Amino acid sequence: MEHTSAFSLPNSGHNRDAEASKMGMWLFLFTELLLFGGLFIVYMVYRSLNPESFLLASFELDVAMGTFNTIVLLVSSMTIAMSITAIQTGDAKKSIFLLYTTLGLAIVFLIVKYFEWSAKIHHGLFPGFEVYDGLPPGESLFFFLYFFMTGLHALHIIIGGIIISVVIYRTKKGLVTKEKYTLTENAGLYWHLVDLIWIYLFPLFYLIH
Amino acid sequence: MSHTKDNLPKEEQVHITSYKDHFSTLIALLLLTVITVVISVFGANLRSLSVFTALLIATVKVIVVAYYFMHLKYDKKVYTWLVLIVAILFVSFAVLTSIEYLNR
Repeated sequence: MEHTSAFSLPNSGHNRDAEASKMGMWLFLFTELLLFGGLFIVYMVYRSLNPESFLLASFELDVAMGTFNTIVLLVSSMTIAMSITAIQTGDAKKSIFLLYTTLGLAIVFLIVKYFEWSAKIHHGLFPGFEVYDGLPPGESLFFFLYFFMTGLHALHIIIGGIIISVVIYRTKKGLVTKEKYTLTENAGLYWHLVDLIWIYLFPLFYLIH
Repeated sequence: MSHTKDNLPKEEQVHITSYKDHFSTLIALLLLTVITVVISVFGANLRSLSVFTALLIATVKVIVVAYYFMHLKYDKKVYTWLVLIVAILFVSFAVLTSIEYLNR
């Protein structure tokens, strides 16, 4: 395995750079922030044009489910942050356990989201359905933005879950260690970003009464 | 000059956040969530106020997550500066867009 990399330096025997990896991750997170930021501006503009419709449509959303999912994501943010503490102190077993917990919470989030979405779809509020097409323009816009933004967010949860699974696999194989835990750190950063976006999505869609 | 493991220059020392600190951060975030929901559900008559408050509290939560969970507090300051630049860019664009709408 050694010396297979084209970029290994003569005397180093490795080409890792934890700081550069972290910087790369942050730069990627900025593109994600601006992606969702653009969507938030679309939301802001259309809401200022249709304040009453957005208010009416938001009553269709289930505040209890939204609050529950907010708590789930906040707890999962803590567990992944703790898994970094665990690997930094050399406790790979605890780190893996905490990563599994995070993964479990991600799945809980998606299950709740599934029930929320299917209730809306059952009521015909998904774009293209009869009820949706009959809604006043402002309300259909609310539901379009709701499905698009929470859908894109849910996609990030799924991708985050896959990344966490990779971290679990590599930690089990001993490739993530006390000295070499950049992967866990970067997975944590990504997961926190997913949490950050939800922190704004939740009040903007569920709590605008 | 060579450094032994216990004698690294300050910027190379890794800060390990304790489990207890992570838990305290979570408690703060949960409290802020409860406050947002309570204001929204029971303060329905304070509508415009509650939207502003909800966004304000969300921003406080985001700062807490970035500062403690995302480790900005202990990382090199360049990360904090980059986050601030992106935040200022976004907020100024959002504010300027809304000024146009408010003046119609």
